[in-house]
Amino acid sequence: MAEGHQKSSMSYKDVNEDIYGIITRSGIGYYIICGLFGAGAAVLFILPWAYQIYVGQGVSGLNVPVFWGIYLVNFVFWVGVAHAGTLISAMLFITQTPWRRAISRGAETMTFFALMLVTLFIFIHMGRPWNFYWTFPYPTQRQLWTNFISPLTFDVFAIGTYTTSSIVFLYFGLVPDLAALSHTASGWRKKLYEFLSFGWRGTDAQWYTQNKACMFFSAFIMPLVVSVHSVVSWDFALSLVPGYSKTVFAPYFVTGALLSGFAGVLLMLSIMREAYPVMKKYVTDYHYDRIGLFVLVLSLMWSYLTLMEVVTGLYANTSQEIEHLKFKLATPPYMQLFILMIFCNTVLPLVYIVRKVRGSVFGRFVVPVLVLVGMWLERYLIIPNSLSRKFLPWMWQDYAPTWVEISISLGTLMMFISMFMMFVKVFPIIALFEVKEDIGVPMKNRKHH
Amino acid sequence: MATNSVLAVFDHVDTLLEAAHRCKASGWGFQIISPIPLGHEIEHEFGPRKNWLRWFTGFGAINGFIFGWVVAFGLSVLYILPRGGKPILAATPTLLVSYETTILFGVLWTLFGFFVLCRMPVISKKPFHPRIAVDGFGLLVEGVREDNIPLVEKILKEHGAGEIERIES
Amino acid sequence: MSIFSKVKDRLEDLRRPGYFKKYDHKFTMVIDLDRCNGCGACVSACYAENNLPVVGKEECGKSRALNWIRIERYVEGEYPDVKVKFIPVMCQHCSKAPCETACPVYATYHNQDGLNVQVYNRCVGTFTCATYCPYDARRFNWFTYKREKPLDQQYNPDVTVREMGIMEKGTFCIQRIRAAKDRAKDEKRALKDGDVTPACAQACPTGAMVFGDLNDPESRVSKLAKSPRRFRLLEELNTDPSVIYLKRVMKDGRGTSEE
Repeated sequence: MAEGHQKSSMSYKDVNEDIYGIITRSGIGYYIICGLFGAGAAVLFILPWAYQIYVGQGVSGLNVPVFWGIYLVNFVFWVGVAHAGTLISAMLFITQTPWRRAISRGAETMTFFALMLVTLFIFIHMGRPWNFYWTFPYPTQRQLWTNFISPLTFDVFAIGTYTTSSIVFLYFGLVPDLAALSHTASGWRKKLYEFLSFGWRGTDAQWYTQNKACMFFSAFIMPLVVSVHSVVSWDFALSLVPGYSKTVFAPYFVTGALLSGFAGVLLMLSIMREAYPVMKKYVTDYHYDRIGLFVLVLSLMWSYLTLMEVVTGLYANTSQEIEHLKFKLATPPYMQLFILMIFCNTVLPLVYIVRKVRGSVFGRFVVPVLVLVGMWLERYLIIPNSLSRKFLPWMWQDYAPTWVEISISLGTLMMFISMFMMFVKVFPIIALFEVKEDIGVPMKNRKHH
Repeated sequence: MATNSVLAVFDHVDTLLEAAHRCKASGWGFQIISPIPLGHEIEHEFGPRKNWLRWFTGFGAINGFIFGWVVAFGLSVLYILPRGGKPILAATPTLLVSYETTILFGVLWTLFGFFVLCRMPVISKKPFHPRIAVDGFGLLVEGVREDNIPLVEKILKEHGAGEIERIES
Repeated sequence: MSIFSKVKDRLEDLRRPGYFKKYDHKFTMVIDLDRCNGCGACVSACYAENNLPVVGKEECGKSRALNWIRIERYVEGEYPDVKVKFIPVMCQHCSKAPCETACPVYATYHNQDGLNVQVYNRCVGTFTCATYCPYDARRFNWFTYKREKPLDQQYNPDVTVREMGIMEKGTFCIQRIRAAKDRAKDEKRALKDGDVTPACAQACPTGAMVFGDLNDPESRVSKLAKSPRRFRLLEELNTDPSVIYLKRVMKDGRGTSEE
């Protein structure tokens, strides 16, 4: 099959055992770490959020011109992280790229949990989160519906569709694996797998339908991925605020999202490989090579669009744009943050030009972490910063997050990690049947055509 | 008429396909049960198949598109609230909403079609062998008369089948 | 009239930008900046009329004062050659308001009086309207603001006391507009100029603020709006605000009220 895949030495049986081993076999240390992250999430996220709901949004650092703080930054950041997962699956499925098989499940899982955080952050940033359901078009006696020209309603539809589609996509790939593992598993896992696989056997007709359905899903999800982050960018770009109101925002956000998403997948795979050495058989240097190239190309695209964002602002030469740029590029500490962002997202990924670096420890851990930091900073420099310098100078006000906002951000990150760790213990993180496909179809006399 | 089926587990796909050809020539129905998709190989042997799923997907997508327009336009008219100097029926944002609902309905109907076409969820017990979950390739020969069963088993053995099970229907 | 032309008319209505052919009233405020001395009486009057909470020094320092109207002060030059300019800014009740398109739940919309109204009960607090507002006129209830025991008697019974987590903004004293319209209806007459005076205009000692209906060609605002001194705040953003400022500007860009 694909070059760089030396899996033909493995048998189907090995695959089953390895993947079921990832689910069941891990030391007490794993559960302790998972529990610690869960407890951290409860303390750092649930408690401050309850406090914020009870006392009011005033516990955050928001003020009158800066109504969107790091909650929205996190929202956009996690939408970005959610992007690579389904894109890797969908885009590489349509092009029949073989190396997607070993990593697609992990990436889709990341999408799923990132989207959970996205939804959470929408609720967290709201003034009255208990009324969140008013943003859905549901029939009520009030006969009052949602405003269909609001960019936030686009958001509800786009993110709702994206969440639904990615859950369906994730579940869909899981069905054959769960059916296969239900014969190996025991206890509650067996019952769960049997229930969730709905009696899948793997008949010829079923596989055929599954393949066709995957094709349709991929065809749907690719435009969806682009549209979701465009819609998120329009939350900002449809306003009049200098620094928000830019037509370049849709491609800029989509590129940035993919950059952070691919960096996230890279980091996730590296950590998983350390936690489960058996994964090194499936996720090889070849994967790092390919994803590293993706990160490099996306970083170059992102750099171009960042330049364009600044230059179009300068070229417009309205006093508001100039003030906004002065604040963003020439006022400490934002100047330093901007330089750090450029370093993380433009300069650092250039090391991926060297093939050796893509597979090195530096390329696997350090670069993706810093790219993620840089992408978070990019959103920070756009969202609260533009609001600090709106039109009337009397209302210019700086913003700094308070401990509640920082704690909720960290807590949700911990929640993401602990949920991911729990997911790994319940569902196969490597697509069983796809890896088997990678090994090849066993033939006695004929060669595989 | 007591019709019985026989499930044979093969180690290799090519021998399975040869056996399947024999069964087809003898007029028995068969199903291939495998741990990995064999669409390519099967189509190569037995010709292309009909893709019913696209009708579900197309139906869902078209419905979603219409749903988006009906929802956004209909609900705006139900309760008229002018906002921002924009028309009540604003076409451009509605296009965006219907874009998303097209995808949403398309995905959900594809899922529904998948369940219908795969005959899932399964309530009764269907013939299966645990080895198929790992590395066996099953050939389920159906619609065999009772007196022909030993013949079928002989044919399957000839082609190198491992375990052979009779399944009472 | 055939059903076809009826449908066509209805569709035309629904496709018309802003929906209304003509507002019942186009309430407008004219602020004569050449008369404004920046005393802040309008701000106090607004606090008293509209049940605005007083949030204290610390919260004000964080720019969280809940003033629906503010006097913006701009200082030009170095001491001793200093010139201070004032401009009272409140919700401009834009006809093409950016905030209205942004709200996902219709908590803010345009009514037939040309007012940009806020529905407190419907607000979920997404902050989008405030972010989109170029005038920073919107204020948020960061906490539950309660008044001490005897002070709660000061609440204006005509105005809602807003709860935590919702957005609010200047209303042109919509409770007074409603009361005046009711009175006019009881007396079986049309609303006439001078029936409605918002608290800020009422409190202005120099009479710099004039409120009225721009649809009425005889009203004071209609006449003042024709003044060559007129301008509207950030007019280049095409928001079509309902607050008109008057200021004499010399060729060199300096105002003349001080000279």
